[in-house]
Amino acid sequence: MSFVEFVEGPLFILASAIFVLGALWRVIGIIRIGRKKDISPPKGSAVMGFVVGNLRHFFPRGIFARRTALHIIAGYGFHLALLVLVLFAAPHIAFIQDRLINVNLPEMPRWGFIVAAEIAFAGLIMLWVRRISDPVMRLISDWDDHIGTWLTFLVMLSGCFALQESQSFLRGLHMLLVDVWLIYFPFSRLMHAFTFFLSRGNTGATYGRKGMNL
Amino acid sequence: MMMRQILALVLFASLLNVGVAHAQTTAPNSEANAKAAQALENIMARQRGEVVLPSGSDVPAPEGGPLFGPDPGPPNTLGAQSQSDYWRAYRGGDPADVVAAIESGQAMTTTGQQWRLLRENYIRKYAGWFPVGVIGILLVFHLVIGKMTISAGRSGKTLPRFTLTQRVAHWFMACVFILLAFTGLIILLGRLAIAPYLGKEVNSILTSASLQGHNLFGPLFIIALVWMFIKFVRGNFFQLVDFKWIFKLGGLFGGHVSSSQFNFGEKSWFWMVVLIGTVISITGIALEFPWLVADLRLLQLSTILHGVGAVALISVAIGHIYVGTIGMEGSIDSMLKGEVDENWAKEHHDLWYEEVTGKPASEDAS
Amino acid sequence: MSANSDIAVAKFLEHTDAEAASFFEACVHCGECAEACQFYLSTGDPKYTPTYKLRPMERAYKRDKAPFSSLKKMLGLAPSPVTEEELREWEPLVYDSCNMCARCTLVCPMGIDIAGTIRKMREGYAAAGIVPEGLQRAAEFVKKTSSPMGITIKALTAQIKHQEEATGIKIEVDKQGADYMAIFSSMEIMGYPEVLGAYAKLFKKAGLTWTISSVAYEATNTGVQIGSGPLAKEIVTRVVDAAEALEVKHVISPECGHAYGAIRWAGPNMMGRQFKFEVVHIIELLDQLRREGRIPAGGKDTRRMTLHDPCQIIRRGGLLKEPRRLLDESCSDFVEMKGAGITNYCCGGGGGVSANPRAEELKTAAFSRKVEQLNGVKDLEAVVVPCGNCRAVFEDGLDAYDMDLEVIGLSELVAETLDESPEKQG
Repeated sequence: MSFVEFVEGPLFILASAIFVLGALWRVIGIIRIGRKKDISPPKGSAVMGFVVGNLRHFFPRGIFARRTALHIIAGYGFHLALLVLVLFAAPHIAFIQDRLINVNLPEMPRWGFIVAAEIAFAGLIMLWVRRISDPVMRLISDWDDHIGTWLTFLVMLSGCFALQESQSFLRGLHMLLVDVWLIYFPFSRLMHAFTFFLSRGNTGATYGRKGMNL
Repeated sequence: MMMRQILALVLFASLLNVGVAHAQTTAPNSEANAKAAQALENIMARQRGEVVLPSGSDVPAPEGGPLFGPDPGPPNTLGAQSQSDYWRAYRGGDPADVVAAIESGQAMTTTGQQWRLLRENYIRKYAGWFPVGVIGILLVFHLVIGKMTISAGRSGKTLPRFTLTQRVAHWFMACVFILLAFTGLIILLGRLAIAPYLGKEVNSILTSASLQGHNLFGPLFIIALVWMFIKFVRGNFFQLVDFKWIFKLGGLFGGHVSSSQFNFGEKSWFWMVVLIGTVISITGIALEFPWLVADLRLLQLSTILHGVGAVALISVAIGHIYVGTIGMEGSIDSMLKGEVDENWAKEHHDLWYEEVTGKPASEDAS
Repeated sequence: MSANSDIAVAKFLEHTDAEAASFFEACVHCGECAEACQFYLSTGDPKYTPTYKLRPMERAYKRDKAPFSSLKKMLGLAPSPVTEEELREWEPLVYDSCNMCARCTLVCPMGIDIAGTIRKMREGYAAAGIVPEGLQRAAEFVKKTSSPMGITIKALTAQIKHQEEATGIKIEVDKQGADYMAIFSSMEIMGYPEVLGAYAKLFKKAGLTWTISSVAYEATNTGVQIGSGPLAKEIVTRVVDAAEALEVKHVISPECGHAYGAIRWAGPNMMGRQFKFEVVHIIELLDQLRREGRIPAGGKDTRRMTLHDPCQIIRRGGLLKEPRRLLDESCSDFVEMKGAGITNYCCGGGGGVSANPRAEELKTAAFSRKVEQLNGVKDLEAVVVPCGNCRAVFEDGLDAYDMDLEVIGLSELVAETLDESPEKQG
């Protein structure tokens, strides 16, 4: 079995299993901690609050949006572009159809792919350099923040290194890093991709129940 | 015109090299080589005006010299006659006169050969030594003179120097620059510095990867450059005080030098990045999207300018990194925290200190 | 490790429910909350970053309660145990520099309720006895006299008498079966007793029966401020028992920030049952009476005024429009300050900070944001501050920044501008 076959075959399956089961375990684990039933007479709907809270925090309120503009642009640029890359890049579609499920995802033209990659890289780099160059960020950041960022960066970088598709080693390297990333994910802060809806929702539910405007 | 002479010189020098290399690789022991040697001998003989018959011909050589003056050569050739003017026109006129060259519809451009030789024999050969040399000089400087400390010690009080946006713009540029520098150096020097030691296979992988990475990060450099220019241009215009700075060599070897928010060295570095960066950006676009450029010679020029400019920036960047980190106490604070120690400001940017605080810097700076 | 840290950590873990856990799990250390925190903004010190203030509790959770924590412990990857030293280092962050104003939640991309979690974290601190002296003293007063400022029923009776004289309206104490029972913050009783007269005037006009209990007149819940569940419960129980004994239909929560949340939302959960009466906030009640036409507005106050938004009433209480509606009808020159409404700055003294003398300097620094806002309104003559605690902080702050501005309560303003012509009554 060649290196590429290994990282795309058995290792990928193992990594995916750890990713799915680990993420599920963690989300269910958080929910299972449970919370005391609130018996104060409600003024509004907690369920609606959960939904509204999730939507509200997609964007900060007016004055904060201006103060944090750089972060919003970099954050959204990175996340959206990465999502587009993962789902719609031609090699990814080929891989998904080949290895996972036979879905017909629209294939992006190459220029779209390049533009998305530029935005994703610019966003991620900005987010990280902000982390290292601000006293607040330096104080609150830990290893997990940096490892998560760098792993994601290396996955993206190795992916773009393999763009020529002329060296199977580069494809293998990209896949190896993807596997490492998948294994690291459920144990790290990368999990925010799944936990965000819980925290937004919980605050939203509490506020919603109190009939508050948040 | 100057350019052409340099190219010609390079061409000549490299021809000698090629000639030597060729002679070395010609071993007379194979039959093919013997035939080739014979052909060369025949050509030279015709040039001397001798009559050379095709090998295997049973027609004997006419006696008493050539029948019709100079040898007519093989059919459809001019033989010993030369039309150098014709060939010169065919090769192309003035390489610098691009428009004329295109309009006159020449059949071939030979600048490619000159470009290749310049790149192979000068840029590739020496480019790597500039950064290495800078590192060497800094190493010696650091060992002999050592870290520039804040002589009055840290005061514990700080002054804001760079805003968060400035810091992010700076580090964004730094990250993109480093990525481009490494991938670019691999593309340029891989065959010379990697292939012989790690093997062609490794070099091939690295170069393929670097090329893709370089192309992808290139456009980000342009964004970073524009952003950095906007965020830092204020305070980077040259002033009278900068000339005093030059005379004292920036205080590198002692002595007090005055400067405002940015000193002469920083200002020069800023404008180097802006100007050379612009050249690199433009040539980079030409190289990444070659179909935008009609004339091949512009692309050749682009690779030269791109490479030379990049090596210059990389070399100076190493110095910039040195002074910004281990070379000078307190400098890195400005880019990690946005704030610098007051004593650092007094010693290195006294005029700026006075401007910001409204207090005199000199009372306890010396 | 020490006994103290054990107690604190046990409480941290006990209070880390699925909600707090989701907050600890979701925080991506983006640092935006610092941009919303007025302690950070007015000092520039990164340690005042809101999410950083939660660190010890987060650590305790990640070490002992989070999914995979035992696996991480086995591999030596779990965070180290929380020490008493660390808890003490964090004490000023948890008590002195958090108003629980919840501005940070507005900016948080993950919607984390840091203020609410600080409240839970203080449970650990209170249980371990790591509490600022000022708050500790207030708690002791509460145990003795039911009031953090040590106000006895004698003092209250004196204030009631004064107000009866001033308004000519009788204020009945311990009236069985009244519609409403009013409670007050100590600050109001001591500093702004006119509010008693205002209530009397307004409720007389509206035709409500109301009363004050001689055993439970204090709304300030020091237990909530200090983070002590048992104390908070004791204070709420006192009010609930008195209200239910008097068989009132409603209890009016005063112009005070946290008191409303303490009795309205936390109260039933602390007591483990719903109350036999309804809790209403005075602003809510006045707005309702005004819309029902029971307290019509008369002549308007012509001074140029603005409104401060007490965090617990507006941002965390949801009463955004009510005070503005009342103000519009009570004053002719009402101007909003910059950033008013849901994102308004705290006065700087919320969350027990004003009751904590150690935090005096920080509180004054934080008030600088308010000063900026007030200075941004041209020719301002008065500021309406519908919270007793905020009012006291405002008066201190305006003094410290040498500003001349009148601070008035909303109920008093509404009472002063009430249309008192008898023919409209009914």
